[in-house]
Amino acid sequence: MTVRFNSVIWRIAVLHIVAVAAASIAMPIILYYLLKTTVNDLQQQALRAQAEDISHYLKESGGRLQLRLPTGLAGNYAEDYGRNAYAILDAAGGTVFSSFASGEPILKADPHEAVPFYFHQRQGPADIIGASIPFVVNDRRVWIQVSEDLSHRDVLSDNVVSDFFPRVGWITAPILLVLLLIEIAIVRSGLKPVITASHLAARIGPATTDIRLPESKIPGEILPLVHAINAALDRLEQGFKAQREFTADAAHELRTPLAILRTNVDLIADQEVAKALRQDIDMMSRLVDQLLNFAELETLVIRASEIADLHAVCTEVASYMAPLAAKQGKGLAVPDCPTRVLIHGNAEVLGQAVRNLVENALVHTPSGTAVEIEVTAEPAIYVRDEGSGVSEAERELIFRRFWRRDRRRRGSSGLGLSIVSRIAEAHNATVSVSNRRSGGAEFVIRFDRSSVVLSNNVGAERPAGEPPELRARVPTG
Amino acid sequence: MALLLIEDNERLASLLKQGLERTGFKVDVIDTATDSVEALAAIKFEVVILDLGLPDEDGLSVLKTMRQRGDMTPVIVMTARGSLRERVEGLDSGADDYLVKPVALEELVARINALLRRPGNLLGSALRLGNVTLDTAGRQVFVDDKAQIFGAREVAILEHLLRRSGRVIPKKFLENSLYGLGEEISSNAVEVYVHRLRKRLAEIGATVQVQTVRGVGYMIAEAK
Repeated sequence: MTVRFNSVIWRIAVLHIVAVAAASIAMPIILYYLLKTTVNDLQQQALRAQAEDISHYLKESGGRLQLRLPTGLAGNYAEDYGRNAYAILDAAGGTVFSSFASGEPILKADPHEAVPFYFHQRQGPADIIGASIPFVVNDRRVWIQVSEDLSHRDVLSDNVVSDFFPRVGWITAPILLVLLLIEIAIVRSGLKPVITASHLAARIGPATTDIRLPESKIPGEILPLVHAINAALDRLEQGFKAQREFTADAAHELRTPLAILRTNVDLIADQEVAKALRQDIDMMSRLVDQLLNFAELETLVIRASEIADLHAVCTEVASYMAPLAAKQGKGLAVPDCPTRVLIHGNAEVLGQAVRNLVENALVHTPSGTAVEIEVTAEPAIYVRDEGSGVSEAERELIFRRFWRRDRRRRGSSGLGLSIVSRIAEAHNATVSVSNRRSGGAEFVIRFDRSSVVLSNNVGAERPAGEPPELRARVPTG
Repeated sequence: MALLLIEDNERLASLLKQGLERTGFKVDVIDTATDSVEALAAIKFEVVILDLGLPDEDGLSVLKTMRQRGDMTPVIVMTARGSLRERVEGLDSGADDYLVKPVALEELVARINALLRRPGNLLGSALRLGNVTLDTAGRQVFVDDKAQIFGAREVAILEHLLRRSGRVIPKKFLENSLYGLGEEISSNAVEVYVHRLRKRLAEIGATVQVQTVRGVGYMIAEAK
């Protein structure tokens, strides 16, 4: 059997229940046998004592055995009373005396052994225990048989044993179960520092690699694991630091020569030549931006305190993109959203995702049409265009790095949509595309419901009428 | 119009100086943070263009020192550092604009002009776009230097749009500015006045156009 338990407490509980079941069966059985043996010993002692009692009154006179029981003792053995009986047998096997009127022995086939012989037999409703004990009276060997009917109403000893199960036996199960609960409580409190450390570990991300798990209260058995995790985090932090430094260095090394080139071209007198060169520089700059962007997103982490207002994100993007759209004779629209949609997320990064979708939509929507950015309470952000849509076969491909439908087209790096996909992923959201009934494409970033922030947890809205510093809030990369 | 360009790359600095001077600015170039802090204490510049990757100290320290001194000279950060974290940090330190290299000369000039035109920094009282001029002091609109008759509220809207030409002005912002004129306005007042403004601009042959970004606001741009 290969059952696996992920929780230590479950493991203990299940194994303990098996142990409880086994113990609550085995323990009463063992106790029952111990009790039974003890009672048997006591009964045999009592039978021996009775036989000895009788032997005191057995005398020989004139070559014949005489038995003169006192009246009280004889009453015990009265056949009417029916509890006890005796019989005295001689070496020849004949019954010399008997408490039965018939003069019969108790055990007809007495083995005549040199040591006491005990027997237990049922005779109709009676439950008889008895003994045959050898005695020597004036050099004559006799066997005194005594018996007791355990089913007699005055006998108590057997009741003790037969009452044991219903009265006492059941108590073991609850005692063992209480023990189980205590054990679970002990294990839980023992594991508490481990759980605390786990919560701490859950907060570790690319931007918070400085967190280390506390080693002080961790149980010794788990300490090596915690130690190893901390060591792994040290190495990871180094890795992330190296990547961040590389991205920053690469940004400087790549953009400075581009800046020089660009300014140089801007100073060229021949505007025809300058125009063509500028286009090439712009394309190169864009590619550099997106590559750096991509590298930056690799170390992106959303902090729990970050909250984004999706409608605000979209109107900012629309404001930023509107001049470009207007230059191409295309429009932008953000339909009103009836409720404020707040989610856990980074507004700047989400703005970048929406911006990439809008840029893509503006490339495909024909002149004279508009791109629509809609926020819904799902929560989701829709970006719709009036272009020719995306074919079924390409709907997965377009989110891949460097994928382009038309490799000859200028100005596309093939990174924009893969950046959207990465940003969505970092927000526990999905991005997908479908075609509208009108034929255009509809991109949607769909967030998980668990990302929603209830608006009463957030501070006041930005005061209306404040001069908007919009361009500053939207990445210009 | 004196500009301070803080940039350590000699070649880029000399090219930018050349380009900006061609546009009519006077440009001083300094290549370290320490020297710039001294220069800024001594001389008043109209706009500072600040590179962040300086050899001695981080460029943001210059900005922080300026703001601590109460020096509110507009600062345009122009840097190769374009990550979101850095952008936000730059703007939070009190930069008025944040540009990532490479920057088109034309764009840089436009941003400088935008800062010079900004309220509180009003040097000229005339706003110009295409063949339209608005004298903000005299509340008078000219097309090809001929005075035109405009309603007060249309002029108010036109002024806001011209101050940030080429950018979207949220509808809410225009609505509030109409409230400022001290009268009851209906819910569609902005639409009404923008419509009138458009009509009037077309009538008098203006080469500018007011565009609507539905759900967001309005933008003025030169018509093509």
